[in-house]
Amino acid sequence: MPELSELEARLTTLGRELEWPPTPNLQASVIAKIATQKVIPLPTRAPMRPDQWYQNRWAVVAAAVILALAAVVAYQPSRDTIANWLNLHTRIQQVPVLPTPSPLPPGPLGVRLGLGGHSTLPKASAAVKWPVLVPSSLGQPDEVYLQFPPDGPPQGEVTLVYSARPGIPTSAQTGVAVLITEARGAVNTDFFGKTVGPDTTLQLVTVAGHQGYWIEGAPHVLVLIDAAGNPRYETLRLATNTLLIDEGGTIVRIEGDLTKDQALQIAASLA
Amino acid sequence: MAAYEEIVKRYQQVAFRTAYVITRSAADAEDAAQQGFIKAHRALGSFRAGAEPRPWLLQIVANEARNRVRSAGRRHKLELRLAEDYRPGGAAPSPEAAAIASEDSTRLLGLVNALGDEDRLVITSRYLLELSGEETAATLGIPEGTVKSRLSRALIHLRARVEEAPGA
Repeated sequence: MPELSELEARLTTLGRELEWPPTPNLQASVIAKIATQKVIPLPTRAPMRPDQWYQNRWAVVAAAVILALAAVVAYQPSRDTIANWLNLHTRIQQVPVLPTPSPLPPGPLGVRLGLGGHSTLPKASAAVKWPVLVPSSLGQPDEVYLQFPPDGPPQGEVTLVYSARPGIPTSAQTGVAVLITEARGAVNTDFFGKTVGPDTTLQLVTVAGHQGYWIEGAPHVLVLIDAAGNPRYETLRLATNTLLIDEGGTIVRIEGDLTKDQALQIAASLA
Repeated sequence: MAAYEEIVKRYQQVAFRTAYVITRSAADAEDAAQQGFIKAHRALGSFRAGAEPRPWLLQIVANEARNRVRSAGRRHKLELRLAEDYRPGGAAPSPEAAAIASEDSTRLLGLVNALGDEDRLVITSRYLLELSGEETAATLGIPEGTVKSRLSRALIHLRARVEEAPGA
């Protein structure tokens, strides 16, 4: 009759003799799922006066989405967590249902999309502290926009606009084929806010050794963030497929009805 | 993210095996462990800095595993078995001694597998998985004091079966 201590010893030995089913490699699947489920909420404080707030339909929708998000997903990483994540200066939140799209308001492109003032490549390059990157695969931009605080990020923001090219149609979301937005900032500043629904996927990508995200599928909601860190709700709109990369400290956002390969090719040709 | 990937790498085996003991299915265990790691990442903010992550992770994974058992509405047969290339004692024993040891282990494993769920889970967690008392408590969702009393009871039940079993 075995004593309990003897039985315990036999059980421990037995555990070491067992043939367990092979442990699956969970690293890749877990990290990929975390990336697609990453939820980075926009601030809930309103940057506008109350009267403006209620007049802005998009702002009300956005607030509803943010509140719904808090209840449904219940995930609130700290700003530092986000900054350390990839430092792409982008807050991304995932929601079960996206707000209904609204037609873009009339007006010049720079106003409609919140791009700032019309500029040229030489003027914009001279105005910002970093070398503005131009994709050789697309050539010279058709239009260039520039904006600084209070609407733009602390060190400014340059947007290159491209009209339709072979294989790259005009996007219904922007009215142009490709938008390339570039900005730089300190670690904890954000330039973009994105609200992503269940039919949009986020993938980690690498372009010339730089990490980034490819956002693809159903349009997602984009809002630009001002120098004080407040979302500029007047710029809230639907965005199509987007590649976000960090090119040596310059955050480059490439948006268009592009395939992933097309976007990666554009990014790889930035110089 | 790289740090969390390292955590997954370090604990995926014990997480998967813990889930396997609960679900009795490798596929369900994989799902439970994966979902557990994802939920743990979401809950990182609530994790007490400086605390040992293993019991915390195992608790989340075990909860996921139990949820799968509940929702599946069916029971799998536990497939734990002895490794074919196992050599008792590490050194090369005589073939006869190895056969006797292997026979003993097979019988003991059969008796463990045949225990009621409460006894089987506490014995498997504490001895076969070699979890600590704290980890066993976290895995089973019971206080550590209850682990001790439940373990003591389970060992008495097992010992009784060992005595009854022919050749024990």
